[in-house]
This record gives sequence, C-alpha cells and structure tokens, in this order.
Amino acid sequence: MTSSSASGRKTLSKIACNRLQKELVEWQVNPPAGFKHKVTDNLQRWVIEVNGAPGTLYSNETFQLQVDFPEHYPMEAPQVIFVPPAPLHPHIYSNGHICLDILYDSWSPAMTVSSICISILSMLSSSTVKQRPEDNDRYVKNCRNGRSPKETRWWFHDDKV
Amino acid sequence: MECAAERSRELAQASTFYRAVYSEIEEVGWENLARFSGDLTSLSFRIIDGKGRVHVMEIQLDKTHPKCPPSISADVPYLFNLKWSSKSRLKDVVRQFKKHLENLQAFWSTLDDIDRSLWVVDPKQASPAVSYRQIIIGNDCCITLFINSVDPRSLPECRFIGSGPFVNTLRNRWRRNSKRWIKDKPFLENLECLLETQLPMPPDVEKNDQQVECGICYAQSLPIDDELRDKNGTGTDYTCDNTSCNKAFHSICLVDWLRSITTTRQSFDVLFGSCPYCSEPVAVKINSFKR
Repeated sequence: MTSSSASGRKTLSKIACNRLQKELVEWQVNPPAGFKHKVTDNLQRWVIEVNGAPGTLYSNETFQLQVDFPEHYPMEAPQVIFVPPAPLHPHIYSNGHICLDILYDSWSPAMTVSSICISILSMLSSSTVKQRPEDNDRYVKNCRNGRSPKETRWWFHDDKV
Repeated sequence: MECAAERSRELAQASTFYRAVYSEIEEVGWENLARFSGDLTSLSFRIIDGKGRVHVMEIQLDKTHPKCPPSISADVPYLFNLKWSSKSRLKDVVRQFKKHLENLQAFWSTLDDIDRSLWVVDPKQASPAVSYRQIIIGNDCCITLFINSVDPRSLPECRFIGSGPFVNTLRNRWRRNSKRWIKDKPFLENLECLLETQLPMPPDVEKNDQQVECGICYAQSLPIDDELRDKNGTGTDYTCDNTSCNKAFHSICLVDWLRSITTTRQSFDVLFGSCPYCSEPVAVKINSFKR
C-alpha cells in the first residue's frame, strides 16, 4: 500500500523515533547473542556486526548488516541487507539482499530489530551448504541501479533453511 | 600409641566445641539460625530489629571458641566493637548486635525518608549497609548524598552530576546555605532550603503500572503532533480480546498498521484484521479520529 522507494530517505516520524530509541535502549541492556550494534548517532541507519554461531558453517566469520528504517516504522518493515561481502547462503544474494519473509510480506510491528537479527542468525546457522541462490546473477543484474530489496516481488524459498 | 592418644585428644576437643556451640545456638534460638557450615565454625543468624527490618549477621568461630572472640560481618554501614571475654557466649554477640541495630535506627529512618519523598535513581534496591542515595533534582541534574551513619541527621556530603552552569549554581547555593541545615528539621525541608528549589517527587509507581505501553509505538501516550489532533497525548485505548495476549494499543496505531497491509478488510467504519502479536482477529473503529 505504501511506497517504499523513499525508505531511508525521509526523516523518521515522531512515533518511529520514539520506538527506535526504546528498541536501542532495550538492545543495549539485553543485546542478542552474536550481534554488536556499531554505535553511531544515526538512529535511522543501524550497522550491526554478526558473528557466525560456533559449530555452524559460518563460525569464526563476521558479517555486517545494514538496517535502514522507513519514515513510518514500525508500520513498515526496515530494509535489512548484508553489506557485501555477504555470507554465502542459498537465500542471500551476492549484493547482500536477503530472502526472508519477515523482512517483507510477513513483517509485523510485533517484531523488533533484535528479533530480525535472531531470525537471520538462525537462517545462517541452519544452512547445510555454502552457495548462492540459483538465480543470483539474474537478480543482482536486475538490481544494478541500486534497487531496494523491498521493491522486489519475493517468492520465498522453502522454509527448511 | 602416641598417635592414637593425639587423635582421641583432638576428638575430645572437637566434641567439646560442638557441644558448646550447640548449646549456645539453643540459647539464641534455633529459629533464628539462617545458615551454618558443617563444622559449625560459620553461623548466620537472622535478627529482627525494633522496626521489623530483617538483618543477617554472620559469625565465624575459632576452633578454640570461646577463648578467642568470633569475627562478625553484617549488612550494616559499620560494625560495633565486640566486647568479649572467655566466658562470653553467642547470645552476648546477638545482644550487642541488637543494641547496635537500635543505634542505627535514626540512620535507616533518614534513608527511608529520602526514599519516600525524593526521586531516587540509585541504588534501585538498597542494602541496609548502603549509605548513599542518588536523586534527581530537575534540569537533568542529580545529586548524590552520603548520609553519615553515625550522625545521620547532620549535613550530608554531596556530589552533583549534570550540566556545568546549573551544577555550579547549585554548588554555590549549597556552600552558601550549608549553615542553614538544622538537624531537627525534616530531611526534605533542609535539602530544599539549601538548594533553594523544589525537588521532584518520586514517580508514582502505581500510576505508571496502570499506564501500559502500546505494542506498536512502544509509548504510553501518543506524541504531541498536529497530525493527531484531538488524540494528542492519549494513552492506550484498545486491548486485544485474546485473553492470553491482552496486548494494549493506541487504536490510532492499530488502524495505521491495519491500513498498511493488504489483508485488512473494511466494513463501514470498522477495520478487520489480525493482532500483530497473536494473529487473532481484531476489529477497530476508524471514525473516532480524522487524519
């Protein structure tokens, strides 16, 4: 219903600001294990360091997530991508876009940055192969003009991984 | 043979020790014993003072007890000098501790006074041994007061925390007015007199509990915003009917959310969708405000 092309550009609404401040405080008190929020003064873009869980394909690897919040967060999902180099995973494209339903159609304001992070880590941890999605090259080519993953019409891969 | 004699002497000594300690605990009352170690060299007693506060005193006994005085620790700001002779018993320690607790009553009632009448931010859950309080005094400033446990009604030492110019003003007032501190006056009155300002009351905990955060915007009250018109500053006014969810929302937030997804249906002025938390059906009216 709402266009998301301008996500991350328009400044946050009062409601979004207030909610993000509370989420940030909660994160600082109770950070999700394996994640580190890189401190900046930009509430609208969070950069989060992810450490692959020990005993998984991604142990000892570190990645960066970039989370951009739309003006009307949490009515709209944040845009979450891996800053390349993105982890080699069947649901993660080489440009950092992530195929994960809660970031798009299944988003709900009951979710938080922290719960998204945990979903992404569990997606990584349950992976059994290190490979790109089959349509990686075609998809990345289509996104070359800097398209947001939120403009993609996603069909979701199986939920086993 | 000599070895066996040595051993039996040790045993005899130990049994004398146990028997002595048992009978001394008996005198204090077993019901007051909170913890003890297997060899009885470490005992904790629960002692209730005149105001009904519960204290725990730990006693470490020497194996030669009662020849050597026991060592004591407790949740008090300072300890007393134990008077001990070889004829003293545990009940004498307890009696002296109780007397010490009575001496500390003025100290604790001063701190209770502060906790009741001022906005204390630290410590959140004070142990009876803690003698400081950090309180909010407005304008983003805090003051930490160190209560003298021997003379609790005297002018406390203090430290200011906050923005420079405001803190300097307060510090000057404190210095200038410190002679006006009168021991018999209530603590709050003295403090306000020295700082020449009215101090904020503690936030009403009960009132805060009744105000619930909205599950969408995380705020208790909506922000003051032109867009919201008459809904400015209102609290949550919608609760999910599912009793195991019971999440509270501002109806304005819920309507905003339901309008932003395609699965919501509308009939006249009611939106039908599902609760963002439990996914059970929700129905919320939209004409109660205009956008």
